[in-house]
Order: sequence, then structure tokens, then C-alpha cells
Amino acid sequence: MDTPRRGNIHSVESLAALDGKGIRYEVFFMGCPFRCAYCHNPDTWEGEGAMHPTAEELAVKIARYKPYFGKEGGVTLSGGEVLTQSAFACELIDLLHEKGINVALDTCGGAPLSGEVKRTLSSADMIILDLKFYDENGYKRYCRGDFNAVMNTLGFLEERDAYVWIRTVVVPGINDSEEEIAKYAEIVKKYSCVKRWQLLAFHTMGFAKYEKMGIPNPLEGTPALSKDRLEQLQRFADERLGEL
Amino acid sequence: MRDEWQGFREGKWCDSIDVRDFIVANYTPYEGDASFLKGATDRTKKISVKLNALLAEEAKKGVLDVDTENVSSILTYAPGYVDKDLDIIVGLQTDAPLKRAVNPFAGIRMCEKACDAYGYKMSDKVRTEFKYRTTHNDGVFRVYTEEMRAARHVGVITGLPDAYARGRIIGDYRRIALYGMDYLIECKKRDKREYGMKDMSEENIRQLEELSKQLDFMEQLKTMAAQYGCDISRPARNAKEAVQWLYFGYLGAVKEQNGAANSIGRITTFLDIYFERDIKAGLLDESAAQEIIDDLVVKLRLVRHLRTPEYNDLFAGDPTWVTTSEGGVCEDGRPMVTKTSFRILQTLYNLGSSAEPNITVLWAQTLPQGFKDFCAKVSIDTDSIQYENDDVMRPAYGDDYAIACCVSAMKVGKQMQFFGARCNLAKVLLMALNGGKDEIYGIQVAPEGQIFDEGVLDYHKVLEAYKQYMSWMAKLYVNTLNVIHYMHDKYAYERLMMSLHDTDVDRLMAFGICGLSVLADSLSAIKYAKVTAIKDERGLITDFKTEGDFPKYGNDDDRVDSIAKWIVESFFEELKKTPTYRNAKHTLSILTITSNVVYGKKTGSTPDGRKRGEPFAPGANPMHGRDCEGALASLNSVAKLPYSCCRDGISNTFSITPDTLGENDADRVNKLTAMLDGYFIQDAHHLNVNVLNRQKLIDAMNDPTLYPNLTIRVSGYAVNFNKLNKNQQQEVINRTFHEKF
Repeated sequence: MDTPRRGNIHSVESLAALDGKGIRYEVFFMGCPFRCAYCHNPDTWEGEGAMHPTAEELAVKIARYKPYFGKEGGVTLSGGEVLTQSAFACELIDLLHEKGINVALDTCGGAPLSGEVKRTLSSADMIILDLKFYDENGYKRYCRGDFNAVMNTLGFLEERDAYVWIRTVVVPGINDSEEEIAKYAEIVKKYSCVKRWQLLAFHTMGFAKYEKMGIPNPLEGTPALSKDRLEQLQRFADERLGEL
Repeated sequence: MRDEWQGFREGKWCDSIDVRDFIVANYTPYEGDASFLKGATDRTKKISVKLNALLAEEAKKGVLDVDTENVSSILTYAPGYVDKDLDIIVGLQTDAPLKRAVNPFAGIRMCEKACDAYGYKMSDKVRTEFKYRTTHNDGVFRVYTEEMRAARHVGVITGLPDAYARGRIIGDYRRIALYGMDYLIECKKRDKREYGMKDMSEENIRQLEELSKQLDFMEQLKTMAAQYGCDISRPARNAKEAVQWLYFGYLGAVKEQNGAANSIGRITTFLDIYFERDIKAGLLDESAAQEIIDDLVVKLRLVRHLRTPEYNDLFAGDPTWVTTSEGGVCEDGRPMVTKTSFRILQTLYNLGSSAEPNITVLWAQTLPQGFKDFCAKVSIDTDSIQYENDDVMRPAYGDDYAIACCVSAMKVGKQMQFFGARCNLAKVLLMALNGGKDEIYGIQVAPEGQIFDEGVLDYHKVLEAYKQYMSWMAKLYVNTLNVIHYMHDKYAYERLMMSLHDTDVDRLMAFGICGLSVLADSLSAIKYAKVTAIKDERGLITDFKTEGDFPKYGNDDDRVDSIAKWIVESFFEELKKTPTYRNAKHTLSILTITSNVVYGKKTGSTPDGRKRGEPFAPGANPMHGRDCEGALASLNSVAKLPYSCCRDGISNTFSITPDTLGENDADRVNKLTAMLDGYFIQDAHHLNVNVLNRQKLIDAMNDPTLYPNLTIRVSGYAVNFNKLNKNQQQEVINRTFHEKF
């Protein structure tokens, strides 16, 4: 008999109200190809997570929360980077769909578009894509990531007419000027599949994890972005985009 | 049809006392949103300033004033007013707002201690009067056995109403407004004549004496109302009178009784019928209607009893549990939400947030969305309301029940409760390991048995021993309550409240559990991890070494949640084996109020890793910090506890930071209503909701003047955070906050 495929899961959170619509059950996958300077979950980069469930086991566990999802809510797969385990993710999404549960996928968009990755992206009901920078340089410098891979992913989503939210973390001193936000806007504008662009404030609550893990924190000393500044930039961003 | 009833639809209610029939025949469900509501009028604003000044002064002094000369009763005090010219609804417990009364019927020592604690002295007059009188407390201690005293002393059963009044009885105050006192008196006289024709058994003699006491106080209530210039012998003619008549009934009850909880019942759907009639007739507009409800709530916020500091350890923050019950669904399927259900919630904006009255929303899946949304908004803004599941209570209690205290349902005017505080089942486990000896005092409390050996504990052996001691505990607990309630009926009978019940009333005896999560996790640790018992120099097991991981209650993990379920089911079965006083029906609650801190103090270290003296989790909550899969996992665990054997309620308190709940106000409202629907559809019973930041509480603890009205929900009631002592404040802060970065 085949041994069933098991996921490598960092943790789960039964009440995640911020990553997608309605009440979300969030699953944090282990493993990420990026090394974003401002990452607040460095403990999901590599190694073994606390749980190794089969997709079936995880789907059964999640189904217990269906009463809370209502019309809008559901599951958000996040991480780490979900697409590092796309076969498992795909299996999980199919099982959740069988149970009538809506699935959002939170991704950096940096995975090469293999057939399996494409299938995973296509089967999610909603994609939350982190657009970290507006050019190759930014991606290289702050994320050790590939800008073109992200653009390819966005292109694929556009082609598929997926339902996409874009999110961008705004870090003081790195991308918190109007000029930079305008550059992001130029990209976001081009995609009609994008239904919302949300700016998120960089915060320092992940710093403790770097200390605990004994790894250098590249942004040590960087202050959190204030709520006021975030709101200001969000208004600016909305104006640049007009009606999405 | 009587004049006062013009415009009402007739029914059975016209020929006999049947308030439910009146409501069902006449109420108008409201399916809209909150946009019709009006803010505070100038009058209300003026009163509000006065009220806040009084409350601030009281907060400074502990109590504002005490009348030490007189014994509290319906006619003891001259009429009192907040502002004679501005009051719409009149009546105070004593002759001045917040002046507390001395009420020694349940126990004089508590009264003396309370006077002393605040720098007052009970008068010689009161002392002399009670020298020749037996109090409830005297009666109980005449009968208490050695074993009962020992169990009480070590705190395996505590908080018993044996030195203070039992409370938790809800008079059907609506009857006064609908029928007037004369008709109610006539009915009671008829009942008394009928009982007089029966054989004079002990039971019937007691019933006759009680009826005579009831009739006495019904007449006195008329006199009290007359002193305020109102004739309550007849039914109320309009909305203002209906509110006033009803409030007089409640006021009389809190003058007579100082029970822990004096709840007012399910009143708004009833009152709304009067408001609708007046508004239709052009006698009232929305603003005037709101003003009347605002003023009723001002009066309810002023209710006070004189308590000792020890009492405050159990029930912190000077609560009175003026619990109101809002919403729910009628047995014919219509929601019982009315505009007046909205109006009472609106008082939290017009008068500011407050712990009292303890507004309880009877949540049902089919409640109108407009009402659900408004409740969620009020929760997010004020942290002042609680939710209980009408869909599980309605099948058991019909559609005219109300909540007494925190989570206790009873049919209004048809059922009463013998309040039974709670017993500490975590401590029973330690007793089982120590052969019936108490782990703190070292004395033999339960029958002597084998003390477990040092070394690794065997789950099956522990379970067998626990079952034996649980069985002993249940029997002793029922018998202790039987003594207490026999004496309470005899020496501190609730004359007025019981006069507003049917004469043939159903009685419930409400037992309680505390330490549920500690016990469940302890048994789980013994079963799934390796727990080594360690003895102290007395040869008693007082410490444990727990190695390895084990499933913890609060993570939606059936391995341990089924243990929690078994604990309540098996304890309830054991309780039912011992008959109750007056054939009361056994019920059970999982509720601690704030006594989880005191119970923790009195309990040694437990196998779950909790150290001696550390607080328990409140009510049915999982232990703080042990739920690692987030808020909904914790709710799912609690939802598995069966209401069918916990008909007196399963209390759960939930705190979440605003930023975790949603992005903005509208988003938070949507998510909170979805959460409540999801929790309650699983047949969960109760949820306290707090939406606030941990930092705000820390700031308030360090400087109480920052947030003078900071209200938070704690196990079944709301409390002003500043009225908690430091230990209790710290415990609330430590409690799991659901927050996410």
C-alpha cells in the first residue's frame, strides 16, 4: 500500500479574521524559498513543523469549523510558502471543496509555474498574493526572490481570471514613500483580476522569533510603521488605482 | 375587558394570570436595524452627570453611606429620589441613592462585618432586635454535621448561601403592571382558601404560612407605591406606568432580600407592547420612549447590597446581577426581538457602558440580522453584554423563561431556584489520591481510604478512586443544600418575590462545578503522559512530576474533551441519586463567577502542572495558555459539554483584541455574529464577549483613573475592572487573549 502523502505544517490557527473574507481557519505551511528581510515568521522558513497530517486528516479537522464560516469564510492556506508543498496543498484543497469549504491561498508568487503549481493556483477560490517589491532589484536585495517569477504568477492568474487580493508590507526606510507606492500601483493597475490592494504595516512583533532562533535580524532597529502613516499611504494607493 | 387593557388583543390572559399568553397575543416583532434609536435627552444627560458623580464618590469611599439604624424591608424607608423633579421612574432602596441598607435576615454576622469593613457600626437597635430572632445562618449551623463543616472549611464546597441570602429568584414583576396588585392578591387569597381545605400535613401548613407571608408583603408593596404617589392596586394604563409598576415590584424585592443575584427577568418584550400602544396613540415618540427605558436603567444601576470583603473575593466588583433577558424566539417561530430590546441596549450608549444591568441576549440562529448586528456592535463598543443560546434553552424552558444571575434559566413566575454555589472537583481528585484527607490542611474530610503510593499514577486506579470520592461528594453536597434551603425558607423566605410566582411553583436545585478544566487536564495528563506523585513530610501527595505531552482541553481534541464531558455527566448522575428538599429538580452549572481565583488559592498542586494556589480557569473555560490552536478550537471544546445535564448553564468567557477580530468596525461586527452563530449552532450554551486590548487592562490596573467605567465580562456577568482586587485583575490579564500578529 502507498504511504499517504503528509504535509509539513508549522501550526494552525482556528480564528484568523484578517487573511481573506469572513472567519478563516488558517494553516501555516513549512518552507519558503524567499528570505524577506521583514519576515515575521522566520520559524516557517525551513525544517520540520509541529504537525505532519495527511490531507484527509487535516480536512477532517478543519471541517469541524464549518459552522463558523457562514457565507464568506473558509480556510486560508499560508506559511511559509504553500506552493513549496503544492501536491499536498492541491490534495487538501480538493478535499475541502468536497466538504463545501472555500479556500484562499496566501502566496509570495515566487514558485516556478510547474503543472502542479498551476493546478494549485487554479483550484483555490481566492489568491492573496504578496507583492513585495515593484522591481527585480528590490526582490533581490530584500527577499532573495525572483521578481519575474512573481510577474509570471500574476500573469497566469490574470489569464485564468482568478480572484486576487494583493498585499504589500510597508517598511519604514525601505518602501514607505509615495513615490515607491506609485511604482507598485503601476503594476497592480495592469491586472483586472486584482480586486483589492491592501497595504500592511511592518511591525516588530516578529523580532522575538529571530532572537529565539539565534539568527541575525536584518531589520533590527527598524521601527514599526505607524497606523496613521499606513492609512495615509493606503489612501494614496487607492487614489492611484482609482476604482479597482 | 378592563379599561387599562383597551387596544390589547384578548385571550386566556384576561381570565387568569398568564403573562406569556398576553405577550404572545400582543407583541410586535421588530426585524429592522438600529437606525430608529434616539440618543440621550437633555434630561437624561443631566441625570447621567448626577449618576456618574455619585458613582465616582462611591468608588472613592467603597460605600457611599449605610443606614445602620434600621432593618431593610419594604416600608422601612421614606421615599428616595435621584432628583425629585427629573426622575421619570421613581423609587430607591433606601431614602437616598447608593445608601446601603442593613439586612440581617440571612445572617447577622455578615452584616456586622460589612459595617465594620467600611467604618460603620451596626446600631444597638438592630443588634437587640436580632438577639431574639433566628437568622437563616443560625438555623443552618444548628443542623450542619461535622462532615459538612469540614467540607466547607477546606473549601471543597464553598460560596454556599448559608450566611447570606440565596437570591437567584425572579419575581414575575410584569404581573403587577398587567393585572394590578388587587387582582394578584385576590388570586393568592383564593389559593390560600383552597390549600385550607386540604389535610394539614406539614407540607400544606408550610404552604399556608408562606401564602400568608406573601399576602402581607403584597399589601405592603401597595403602600410603598402609594408613598411615591402611585396606585398599583390597578393595572398600568400606559408605558410609563407599566415600567413604574414593574419596577416597584423589583424594588420591593431588593428592599426585602439581599440575595447574591436579584434578576429582573424578561421584561422588554412585555413592556414593548405598552410602548407600541402609546406610540400608536401619539402619546409617546421614540425619544420619550427611550428616556423612560434610560431612567429605568439608571435606577437599576443604583441597586446595592452591603457585602463583606470576603464576599467580594467570591463575587468581585459588587455585583447585583440585575440580569435582563433580551430576544429569543417565540414557540410559534417569530423572533421575540422588539424595539424595546434595542432600547435597553441603547442605554449603554446613552448612559455609558456599565456592568449592571447584566444584559443577556438570548441568541437564536433565526434572530433578525439587524438585532444580531446591533448586539455585536454593542459588545465591541462596550464589553457589557453576554449571550446565551435560546435554541438550547427554549426546548427545556419554553419561550417565557429568563436568566437569573449569570446563566440560570427558569420559567418566569413558574419556576424558582435553590441556589447551590459550587463544589471543587479538582480538589476531589486530590482527596481521592490522599484517602479522603485534604491536601492543604491535612485533615480527614471524606471517608478514610487508601493513600496512593509515590510513583507513577495508574489512570484506571486513579479513576476508580475518583469515582468513589465523587459519589461521596455528590451526596454530601445535596444534603448540605437541603439543610440550607430548608432554613432559608424557614427564616428568610422571599415573601414578595414568591408572591409573584404561581402558588404551585416548580423548584430547581442548582448545583455547580468548578475546576472542570483543571480536572480534565489532570486526568488527561495521567492517562496520556507520565505523572509521578510526590509525597510531602506528612505522607500526603502534594506535588506531581508530569513528563511528556498530553491532550489539553481547549484544543477541540476529543481525547480530553470527552473526559471533560464525562466529568459533568457522571457528577450529574451522582447528584440525582440523593433526593432534594421539596422535590426540587437537580440541575448543574459550570460557572465560577470570580471564585476561580479563591478556589485556586485553596487547592494544592494538580497533575496538569498547575501549582498550589494558582487560579483555576473561570467557568467552563480552558486553562489559560493551554489552547494552542486558537479561539475557535477553544470554543469547540466548550461546545461539547452537554447542556442536557448542565441545565443551569455552562459559562464561557472569550476575550479578543479588536485587531484580531477584524479590519474595521463593520468587519468586526460581521465576524462576531458569524462566530456567535457558529458557536451556538453546535448547541453551546453561553458566551461572554470582550473585545479589548490587553494593554488597556494593564494601564487600567496601574492607573484606575484612566478608565473609570472600564467594563469587562467575567464568568457570567460584567464587572467594572477597577472594582476587582489586584489578584483578580492579574488573573483576568493572564487569561488567554486571542490575539494575532
